[in-house]
Amino acid sequence: MALVTLRDVDFAYDERPALRRISFDLQEGDFVGIVGPNGSGKSTLIDLIDGLQHPGVGEVLIGGVPTRKIRRRQMAREVALVPQHFTLDFDLSVREVVEMGAYCRGKDADACADAELTLARLGARELAGRRFTELSGGEKQLVVLAQALMQKAKLLLLDEPASALDVSHQLRLFDLLKELNSEGLSVLCILHDLNLAIHYFDKLLVLSEGEVAAYGPPDEVLRPEIVEAVYGVRAYLHKHAGRTYLTFSPRLRPERRGRVHVVCGGGTGAGLMRELVDAGYDVSAGVLNALDTDEETGRELGLSMAVEAPFSPVGDEADAENRELMRAADIVMVTAVPVSHGNARNIEAVLETVAAGTPVWAVRGVLDGDFTGVTAELEPTGVALFADEAGMLAALRERASVPTT
Amino acid sequence: MTRLARTSVWPGVALAGGVLVACLLVSLAFGPASLSLGEVWHFVTTGPVHGDLPNAIFWQIRLPRVLVACLVGAELAVAGVILQDLFLNPLTDPYVTGVSSGAALGATIGIVLHLSNLPWMAVLALIGGFLTLGVVWMAARRRGRIDIFVLLLAGVTISYLASALVTVLMIRANQDMYAIVYWLMGSFSGRGWPDVEIALVAVPFMIAPLFFAKEMDILLQGEKRALELGVEVERTKRVLLVTAGVLTAIAVSVSGIIGFVGLVVPHIVRLLVGPAHRSLLPVSLLLGASMMGIADLLSRTVIAPNEIPVGVVTTFVGAPLFVYLLRRGRKG
Repeated sequence: MALVTLRDVDFAYDERPALRRISFDLQEGDFVGIVGPNGSGKSTLIDLIDGLQHPGVGEVLIGGVPTRKIRRRQMAREVALVPQHFTLDFDLSVREVVEMGAYCRGKDADACADAELTLARLGARELAGRRFTELSGGEKQLVVLAQALMQKAKLLLLDEPASALDVSHQLRLFDLLKELNSEGLSVLCILHDLNLAIHYFDKLLVLSEGEVAAYGPPDEVLRPEIVEAVYGVRAYLHKHAGRTYLTFSPRLRPERRGRVHVVCGGGTGAGLMRELVDAGYDVSAGVLNALDTDEETGRELGLSMAVEAPFSPVGDEADAENRELMRAADIVMVTAVPVSHGNARNIEAVLETVAAGTPVWAVRGVLDGDFTGVTAELEPTGVALFADEAGMLAALRERASVPTT
Repeated sequence: MTRLARTSVWPGVALAGGVLVACLLVSLAFGPASLSLGEVWHFVTTGPVHGDLPNAIFWQIRLPRVLVACLVGAELAVAGVILQDLFLNPLTDPYVTGVSSGAALGATIGIVLHLSNLPWMAVLALIGGFLTLGVVWMAARRRGRIDIFVLLLAGVTISYLASALVTVLMIRANQDMYAIVYWLMGSFSGRGWPDVEIALVAVPFMIAPLFFAKEMDILLQGEKRALELGVEVERTKRVLLVTAGVLTAIAVSVSGIIGFVGLVVPHIVRLLVGPAHRSLLPVSLLLGASMMGIADLLSRTVIAPNEIPVGVVTTFVGAPLFVYLLRRGRKG
């Protein structure tokens, strides 16, 4: 039997709907993260599972029993919750605070000894004698976690447990949760950091405007298109050292500002391409060799590119494709890419583009890395030269602010 | 500062018990007719004797008065602990629920109707107190839950309403004005065994909160956290609010409105033994009784044969003590 079952759950605060048609199961031993924008109903969902709120429509079942029919003490034995905010202004010792977690266990629990053990389990035994009010935010978080563990529940719910923690404590916390999970504790955890979510959780539940947008393994549910739809930001997926990372840029669908073709390679164009995409330009690039750093960045950014096989000189087919992309561009930019016989055709294509009347801007550094002499033609044919990329981007911004006729 | 009874309850309770016994002995010994401790012991062991004047002073006047004072002190202190910790508000005293003002209204009606002989006054005060509690309770009920914040506001509002009615009655019944004012100030003057009997009714209500010590500790983290940890919050709140209301109503019905004890004793005890209720409740009970006993002793001896209103004494004794402990506590 599923540990937790939600069946077509609707929930509203007074008239304001918070959750709609939520259905999912949690099995024993699951390690699931909940992600979603602010106000998407994550905390409400956790409150429903802990029986602190009851659904307007549908059912929330814990071990097959509707939460409505479970008494609080019994519920605390099944489900423990680590809240997002925790206030206790009274001068209690950490030991006393942790022991409160054993309340639902009644008299059978030897709470006093357990409190120290539980703290030790979290690597915080030395906190036992301290006063709770004197602890740092991170230490308080650990103590509240210890309090929740004292319930010895089957399921642990956490509401943004990492939000008050620095990066090292965050990782320690999630390592710890993973360890507790491997010992049989089921975990359902709200978090905001999508990269932590990808790395730690077996499954993710993505909430969006009170509905389940996706539920499944992280690499299935945190695809850029889902992140873009849910959060309204641009998302890029990177693979690095065998791990997947997401990065974001704020604009999802900026106004079209025109088309820029970038001639680059060897990582000289990655930053420029990203800046241009973020600024709202339609960007193309080429010719690049497959697996080149710039080619990988371009792929992540979803650019149109003319691509040649790895470590091969530019062939006819790629060259033709590249010239077509240049023709479609409003402006062509050349980075400080080293020029050799392998990619000299790119510069030749640039020279033809200038002749055809398309403005071409180049970083002066490209002249220094030229082993063929082909770039000597750039300045005489009317290519504007810039000291660096930043100068080029500044000029582009200026150009965009002046209405063109 | 170092604390007594950090881990175990008993050292603190035993010490507070010792303080209470000492206060009782001193209160019984001193008065317009002073007795030695030996005489006190003698009277206690022989019991009431007819025709013996000192014995009669002890058994008919002094002992019941001291007992009423101590019981009222204990009742107010326990009610203060309960309400401060339920409202999570350090400024709360037993009178914010409006129960005391309702009781005062009841007593004023009794005075105006010339029902001043016992037990009518006390009964009317109790009725007034309980009626107010009922009204405040209804106001704070929302979908089967008691909203603590609304309860506080409703209590304060009802308090003002009842006080306004008392004022109207005072103006209407000008020859009884003195009696009303004197009652409102609070006093143990002339209290006898019938008052002790009424005050004793509160004993089970002083004991009951001890069984909710864990729940009260957990409620210090707020109602939501208490629910998460498995406390039946609404049931606990209902029991504790009724308990505090009954304690206040009984205390006010036999003594009038005596300030400061219900506010300050819980704070003093928190500084001494910490906020955990397994110690806080019993020690507050014992020290509340001690403080009121001593306050009443001073009220009847300092300017004997006249009396200082006991509420004035509780403030004069309590305020400096409280400030001293606060400063000491801060230095930590």
